[in-house]
Amino acid sequence: MKNKQYNSIAILVVLLFGAILFFIGTDGFSAYTVETARVNKLMEDNPVFPEVTLEDSKERVYSFSEFEGKYVMLTFIYTACSDVCPQLEFNLAEVYKKIPQKYIGEDIVFLSISFDPKNDDPATLEKYRYYFDSDGETWRMARISGQKELDGLLKEFGVTVIPDENGNFQHNSAFYLVDPNGILIEVMDFEEIEIAADKVNTILDSKVRE
Amino acid sequence: MLPPVANLAESVMAIHMHMQMTMFIVVGVLMASYFQKRFPGFFEKWNSNGVPGILLFMVILGYWLLPRTMHEALSIPAVELFKFISLPFLAGVPLRDSWGKLSGLGKNIMYILLSIIFGFMAWLYIASPVQLCNNYLIIEQKTLGWGFVFLAVSILIYFISTLVIDPSDYE
Repeated sequence: MKNKQYNSIAILVVLLFGAILFFIGTDGFSAYTVETARVNKLMEDNPVFPEVTLEDSKERVYSFSEFEGKYVMLTFIYTACSDVCPQLEFNLAEVYKKIPQKYIGEDIVFLSISFDPKNDDPATLEKYRYYFDSDGETWRMARISGQKELDGLLKEFGVTVIPDENGNFQHNSAFYLVDPNGILIEVMDFEEIEIAADKVNTILDSKVRE
Repeated sequence: MLPPVANLAESVMAIHMHMQMTMFIVVGVLMASYFQKRFPGFFEKWNSNGVPGILLFMVILGYWLLPRTMHEALSIPAVELFKFISLPFLAGVPLRDSWGKLSGLGKNIMYILLSIIFGFMAWLYIASPVQLCNNYLIIEQKTLGWGFVFLAVSILIYFISTLVIDPSDYE
């Protein structure tokens, strides 16, 4: 009889331990995968876009401060990618079309950054941008040649890139919105075009009203 | 585990989950009799019907099945340390101590529950279009999923065999 009591106490302790363990392990039941945890953390940390040197498809070389005073909608890609990047860029093009013309280039710039600088030279990027109707001006495609600078940026923005044996990369994808001060303010699901466009437009509208 | 061995085991997703983590539980199961002899009163007192022990086993198992925890075991040293401790001592040891104490019904429930859980994990890892763990390739994720299918089916087959086969017929 006594043992039964101890058993019940032990069960309670175990259940309590389990609840605490899961609570801590999932940030209070909010993030079961690393990707959710990553996005949650990014939105809390609001990292600043580091000073890197970009080289775009028109062979122009400039630092990220070129975009100071404008919102920048970012994606991370590589042109040899055959699965998710085309989808990512296609969806980015859809978002681009949903932004009112008056904001484009003035208040917001789109930028696709390649994390495969070896293969994605300006000529390759120039060809790639055609597929998505990017004008190369208000939607630019660029590489970061300095591997150190590139790694720093990817780390700062939580982009994981794993090269495989065939020259491909496994990577996570999202839309990133950087504000006019270079601070990352939004990480958006790239499969939700409407939601992303609405969010960006709301931010732009409120900025113009100020 | 020796660091090079840990590195090797963790470099492939399926090995990490199905071999390294399973081995840690097995280690605990093998060590259990030492603890049982050393602290017989403790297990008898707190785990007399086996239910608390098996619950603890399930909690630890469930925790390590979350895609996120496996990832964090690689990127956060404290979580990795917790993996090394929790799997043998909080899953393996209680499993051995509890299993013998469970009734036939309790065991059957466990067989079914485990096949359902592993079946669900298989479906999750195979069907998921997104990368659940950023440290591994998607193809590895699918391999892991098929590993779970294997596990779930094996447990199910064993369970059915316990129902239809009477060992005394072969003695």
